[in-house]
Amino acid sequence: MTTFREYRAVLAAGGKPVHAVPALPSEDEAIQGQRAGFVSRATAAIIDVVLVFVVVLGTAAAYWMLTFIIQPTTSQGEAFSHARVPPVWLLIAYGYALNVAYWTIGWATGGRTIGNLILGVRVVNFRGKRVHWAGAFVRALFCTLFVPGLLWVIISGTNRSVQDVVLRTSVIHDWVVEVPGLTRKEHL
Amino acid sequence: MTDVPDEPPAGRQEVVLTTWPAAQPAPAAARTLFDVVASTVGLATQAATTIAVVVEHSVGRAVSAPVNAALDRMVPVIATAIVERIDLTDLVVRQVDLGAVVTRALDDLDLTAIVIDRVDIDAVVAKADMDAIIDRVPVIDLANYVVDEIDLPQIIRDSTSGIAGDVMNGTRRQALGADRLVSGLADRIVFRRRGRKLDAPGDPQSLGGRFREDMGGDPYVGTPVAEEPAQPTEPTP
Repeated sequence: MTTFREYRAVLAAGGKPVHAVPALPSEDEAIQGQRAGFVSRATAAIIDVVLVFVVVLGTAAAYWMLTFIIQPTTSQGEAFSHARVPPVWLLIAYGYALNVAYWTIGWATGGRTIGNLILGVRVVNFRGKRVHWAGAFVRALFCTLFVPGLLWVIISGTNRSVQDVVLRTSVIHDWVVEVPGLTRKEHL
Repeated sequence: MTDVPDEPPAGRQEVVLTTWPAAQPAPAAARTLFDVVASTVGLATQAATTIAVVVEHSVGRAVSAPVNAALDRMVPVIATAIVERIDLTDLVVRQVDLGAVVTRALDDLDLTAIVIDRVDIDAVVAKADMDAIIDRVPVIDLANYVVDEIDLPQIIRDSTSGIAGDVMNGTRRQALGADRLVSGLADRIVFRRRGRKLDAPGDPQSLGGRFREDMGGDPYVGTPVAEEPAQPTEPTP
């Protein structure tokens, strides 16, 4: 057991506290903070899009069932009429809007969506910090409307997509969830 | 030669030893006279000595009692008079090496035991200003020390990640391998020989700059997410 005196001596000598050392194998530590490659990012995006797709389908199904409550029917042929199933263009537009909102919230709050979390990547701005709401929205819009921009990651020498180049953002490997150390507040 | 002690100790029989050197033969009459005189002188001396011893004993006893009584009465009066006329404190301060006295006194005392026996420590602590004491205690360091000692991060990881975390890390490693495969292939196609620059600006947020000490970040203090200043608005395309 380390005594408190020894602990402070280690800190004073520039040592690291144990809680600041992540529990990752050393080969994984080396890539933390580096820009992620195409497969990681594409997989994360696909997971996100699949999730949004499931939500859109669920919404459509819920709407369809709701119509039977509002307007019950006995005719079999009437069950899948346009009155009960939203038009496809509306569902697509809804899916796009949902995707933009989902990515905006994910990137602006924690820097990662569910797909990002599974693949261990995080979106940061040109300072390496969390993206601001406006930046997250613009990036989400850009990524949703211009999916092929991701392909530039394959070519780019710095693993940047077209969106990253334009908005000066980066997608980095960030596998561990921090256990925060305690800090002294500057202002009371 | 005669060996006579000056004052015989009281209560002891005194023996006077008189020796004569080998003298010249004297006439018989003179010798007789000399013997008589010598014996007389020796007897007289012994008698005088005995008398002196007896007198000293009796007189000493007779005199000492009243003298002692007189002294018992007089000495306190005289001493009080002397003490009243002398600034004893000043005298002690000037004449006595107080440091040495105190040091010797402290050497002889077991102060810790005395304090434990005679001081009500609970009462002392009850009167202490605990806030002032706590203000001087490095509480944050102490808390971090406790977090490290009980390995709180490991507890949190054990309770939250488990199998799901291992599966996620496996997925990430596979994706990482595929990343490298794709990027290596692309680099070969575009004849990029120096490899890719993958260092991103700033510190990874969740890592608190642990792997990026060259950025000058303090890995101990870290950067709490909630207290970050507002980010500047991103440049829009």
